[in-house]
Amino acid sequence: MSHLEFACQHSRSAEFRLDARFETHHGVTALFGPSGAGKTTVLAIIAGLLKPDAGSVVHDGRVLVRTTERRFLPPEKRRIGMVFQDHLLFPHLTVRKNLSYSRRAAASGRKLAALGEVAAALDIEKLLEQFPRQLSGGERQRVALGRALLSQPDLLLLDEPLSSLDARLRYRILDYVERVVRLWDVPVVFVSHSQAEVRRLAQWVVMLDRGRVVQVGTPEEVLGSSDALALQNSAAPINLLRFEKVRRAGDHCFGQLGSQEVFVPLQGPTVREPLIVQFSPRDVILGRHGLTGVSARNQLSGTIRQIVRTDYGVFAAVDVGQIVWAAVTEDAIRELDLQIGGEAICLVKAHSLEVLG
Amino acid sequence: MLTAEELTAVRLSLSVALTASLVALPAGIACGYLLARWRFAGKWILEALVNVPLVLPPVATGYLLLVLLGARGPIGSLLWDHFGIRLAFSREAAVIAAVAVSFPLMVRAIRLAFQAVDPRLEMAARGLGAGRTRTFLTVSLPLARRGIIAGWLLCFARSLGEFGATILLAGNIAGETRTIPLAIYSMTQRPGGLEGSWRLVVVAILLACIAMVASGYLERSRADDVAS
Repeated sequence: MSHLEFACQHSRSAEFRLDARFETHHGVTALFGPSGAGKTTVLAIIAGLLKPDAGSVVHDGRVLVRTTERRFLPPEKRRIGMVFQDHLLFPHLTVRKNLSYSRRAAASGRKLAALGEVAAALDIEKLLEQFPRQLSGGERQRVALGRALLSQPDLLLLDEPLSSLDARLRYRILDYVERVVRLWDVPVVFVSHSQAEVRRLAQWVVMLDRGRVVQVGTPEEVLGSSDALALQNSAAPINLLRFEKVRRAGDHCFGQLGSQEVFVPLQGPTVREPLIVQFSPRDVILGRHGLTGVSARNQLSGTIRQIVRTDYGVFAAVDVGQIVWAAVTEDAIRELDLQIGGEAICLVKAHSLEVLG
Repeated sequence: MLTAEELTAVRLSLSVALTASLVALPAGIACGYLLARWRFAGKWILEALVNVPLVLPPVATGYLLLVLLGARGPIGSLLWDHFGIRLAFSREAAVIAAVAVSFPLMVRAIRLAFQAVDPRLEMAARGLGAGRTRTFLTVSLPLARRGIIAGWLLCFARSLGEFGATILLAGNIAGETRTIPLAIYSMTQRPGGLEGSWRLVVVAILLACIAMVASGYLERSRADDVAS
């Protein structure tokens, strides 16, 4: 079990000051927040690319930096693999030489990541003799991931590794990240401002805003909170449901949400677990009672947890096993007497569900 | 065809320029990297010292070198008294004069080459477990290589044309320190020497053109290499 303790202050400029403190012992931790929140600064401090003004970082009992004792472990001694936003592959070396750049041996008790295995897991075996400039964006990012993994890290840091890729490619890369975590059991801390990425990968979320930790918890807890909503400057919230297990039935499947099932039409021949679906709060109709004689396939009952008023409209958070956001009007709140703690039914049209991945 | 005297001058010039540019290279790389990447107290002093010969008349540089390295100079007398080495008015002196005058050009090109290397690539190497030395040897140096070769070529070309500092420190000794520029000068001073001067001027132009074209090509392709 990996354990990371972070408590640092750092002034990057007169306007920005990081003052963050958090702990995590989870396999995959997300640093989540809007641009300029300080997420990348946190990663740079953990990796040793930046000396904090004050504070300490301890990983698995090993002090990486502690300013009070003037201790600073140089990056090459930290055993921390980092995948940068823009991959930073060495342009003068082939993929094979990039991958084998690190000469570290595996740490005791950790499975050795071997070049052949890693290349196979990331589907980059055919690219080994090529140079980075010959690769596509997705391929470069996979090579960067492989290179970090082959440095036999005790901790893998991913700095928005997907931000430079388009949406479809992004979810394919997430598959690879998941595969790497599963096969080599490396703890991961990754930076993201995408709810979908966080839901898909993270077991624990540290939410940052303006250099401070504003919330920590499971993705459901953090992303379902009004704080998360307030920080999302991209208009309305997005609904993301994650199903660990799904039941396939012809051209559709059912995802389990506690005792309820969600009907999900499938676009492709395969279905992947966990299954993540996305839909807009504007595709959710709220009611007080179940309805008959309507075409909407999904009627999910739950409890109203919050009603949030934003510049983009009013949204109600309904806990149906996971949080579902519904766009409502002030009139509807009054007429249906929607109250926090009250029961509600969410009607979701099956075809508004978009399967991610 | 060149006469024996002219051929000797060409051979000597090439040998002095080659030696000077090779001798200067390690220091040029060190200075270029230091100036491009490090922040330290007194950096401006190093910068000024390196660049002074660029703006100083070469004759003045030669004079200063002669004062230092001449038989009665502080370094010159030390070398003569302890090791029996006489530097001034020797082929070595021609090399020293060429190094002094062409070194700033080399450092300038190498410094730019290192500055063009993304420092985050060096960070990435450190994160992968490489120490400072390995990072320098496997990332910074190979990525700056074209600029380094361009700097070396510039130094070589400038050394070929060196006159002022050489004539003061190394003299104008036929077969020993009389390089192409000195030979051209000597020939113009004697009756009937103009024809020989012309031939050497053509050789000098050819050599300079080759060096500059190669240097320019390397400068341009460096940008492509780093950008990929």
